[in-house]
Amino acid sequence: MTKLLITEITRMGPAFCVIGLQREKDKIQSVRPVSATANSWLHFPYHRGDVLQCDLAPFSGVKPHIEDRVSTRGFQRESTVAEPEVVTYLRKAEIADSLQELFGCILHENKSGSGLFAKPSEAKRSVCGTVTQNLRIEFCANELRATLVLSSGEVLRDLPVVDRDWRDFVDGALAEGRGANRLTRLERFLNSQFHYKVLSCPHHFIRLGLTRPYYDLCWLMLDTLIPLPKHDWLEEF
Amino acid sequence: MASIKDENHWRRLVEECFRREAGPQTSIPNPAQDLIETGVLDSMGWVSFLRALESASGLNELGALLTDCAPSLESIYEAFKEARAKSPSLHAYFPDARRDATRAPVIIAGSCAAIGSQTIPSEEIDRAFGMPPGKLRLRAGIESLAYAAENENEVALGARAAQQMLHAAACGAQELDWIIATSETHRSYPSLAARLHSQLLARENCGALDVGGACLGLLNGLALAQGLIVSGQARTIAVITSDIHSRIFKPGRVAGEFGGLFGDGASAFLLRAKDGSAPQQAYVLGEFFFGCSGQYAAAIRVADASNGDLEVHFDGEALSRAAITRMEKVILDVELRSGLSRFSVQGLATHQPNPRLVTLLARQLDIPPDKFPSVARTFGNLGSSTCGVALDAILQSAHSRQSGAPGPIFLASLGPGLLFGGGSLVLA
Repeated sequence: MTKLLITEITRMGPAFCVIGLQREKDKIQSVRPVSATANSWLHFPYHRGDVLQCDLAPFSGVKPHIEDRVSTRGFQRESTVAEPEVVTYLRKAEIADSLQELFGCILHENKSGSGLFAKPSEAKRSVCGTVTQNLRIEFCANELRATLVLSSGEVLRDLPVVDRDWRDFVDGALAEGRGANRLTRLERFLNSQFHYKVLSCPHHFIRLGLTRPYYDLCWLMLDTLIPLPKHDWLEEF
Repeated sequence: MASIKDENHWRRLVEECFRREAGPQTSIPNPAQDLIETGVLDSMGWVSFLRALESASGLNELGALLTDCAPSLESIYEAFKEARAKSPSLHAYFPDARRDATRAPVIIAGSCAAIGSQTIPSEEIDRAFGMPPGKLRLRAGIESLAYAAENENEVALGARAAQQMLHAAACGAQELDWIIATSETHRSYPSLAARLHSQLLARENCGALDVGGACLGLLNGLALAQGLIVSGQARTIAVITSDIHSRIFKPGRVAGEFGGLFGDGASAFLLRAKDGSAPQQAYVLGEFFFGCSGQYAAAIRVADASNGDLEVHFDGEALSRAAITRMEKVILDVELRSGLSRFSVQGLATHQPNPRLVTLLARQLDIPPDKFPSVARTFGNLGSSTCGVALDAILQSAHSRQSGAPGPIFLASLGPGLLFGGGSLVLA
């Protein structure tokens, strides 16, 4: 049996991708439970901070998704860890300060438009934590995108935000029952209170991930943004 | 309602950017087609396409305008129309209209370059920096470097270029309304612009302004001068670059792989409002655009250390990659924004980190290498003056052309940050 602290739940189309932290001797490392037939889960009723009991078998996943493990049995919740403590563990797992250290490879700029990508054969891993000096989220034609500056001063633009909780929060903010001008109100929140709430949080932390190879390229995404949104923030705008 | 001419312009931009994202062989979809639902683009490709379009059109809020809209070409055309309807006085998104209204008036009425008077073979530089002889020639393609003589500095070289430029244009220094200077090496006060003002004996009420940007400095200066002239605040402006690297990037102070690339030089340009007295064959400044690509910020950093030394962080490999990728992107954007083909140009006045990278860039863009004047090969990287010396060379070649009208000129440069900028010049 493996104990897994759930740190990432990302929305990938209609399914969810899950990553957790596993302790192995003195080392804490990221592990991505996948089913025997798919990389993602259509139903995942757990949350960030849940400690799950599960059985994971080694799996020769396609590089750079070396964190993949096949889950051979269901999950069972054992306990829950508070958000600041989750970040404490994340800081002990894969972490980097600069662009090149994130995935142990060169990240390339998309010449024809926006976004950054890694070559699957070059990337050493597919997930990494980092600290940001600043972070902004915006809508671009219905798509949620993040722009952030690392502590090295390097800027990452237009990263798709795939964090399930933040995407749910945005969906909630745009729900029809919330009255008029929902988009304008949400944009105002993202440009003002969001910034304060996220960057002044003492345990602010992010994790970046790489997509599965798509036409031989793995694109950067914002997997996790901590603090996670609180439902009562919706009352503020 | 937008004119047909504008609509054609949007369509061209949309189709160009779409093909860049979806592939050159991809046919243009039906305007109403949902590009994501039908699998033509995924959500990342859709955003990437819109960002390219924002950059090409100057309509920076295109993505925001399309929130709550179907991901289709029709939505994009509607967003362009909406933007114009909301701000009919703004020409920013409609280059054709802007060209008529504001862009035509600023011409380059004169230019000149001045190079450090000592020519040093690159092998000598190799030895001075403790590198194997031949390294600069083989690795970077540098044959020689122009170094300033003892009596030359930024002010002397800048003033020499400016005096010759004024003489060639038959313009008295008293006609200047502004002197705009840029240098990546002059780091003292009075500033370079102030000292050039005195050297040239400009009028007391001629402004003197220093602009930064390192290797991007010339483009910053030209864009600023254009703005001052277009707004009616000035009629005649000198834009001057001057860089003396050989006294800063010295052996023992910086690594030879970095310091050995740089030479000394200056350039000067006379910008004027176009009127009846303008020369027949003058180049008109087109639209400039600028930005900062922060993911490359760590590739080069230069700072004063507390002990008086120079702290240089220089990741040559990362910088080369960044330079090529970004320069290619900037030149393609100049092409898109101006509607001018890169294959029709008289030349490209660009940043030249080293000759090898220029050759590589030419290959990537499928342009003959001789469209890039040979600056770095014989003089070294001249900082903000590289673009200036290259631009002067292209202008001279255009003037001495025996037959046929000279083509347009593309400008593109980079600076630490990674700052980038581009623009174009066309014959009046």
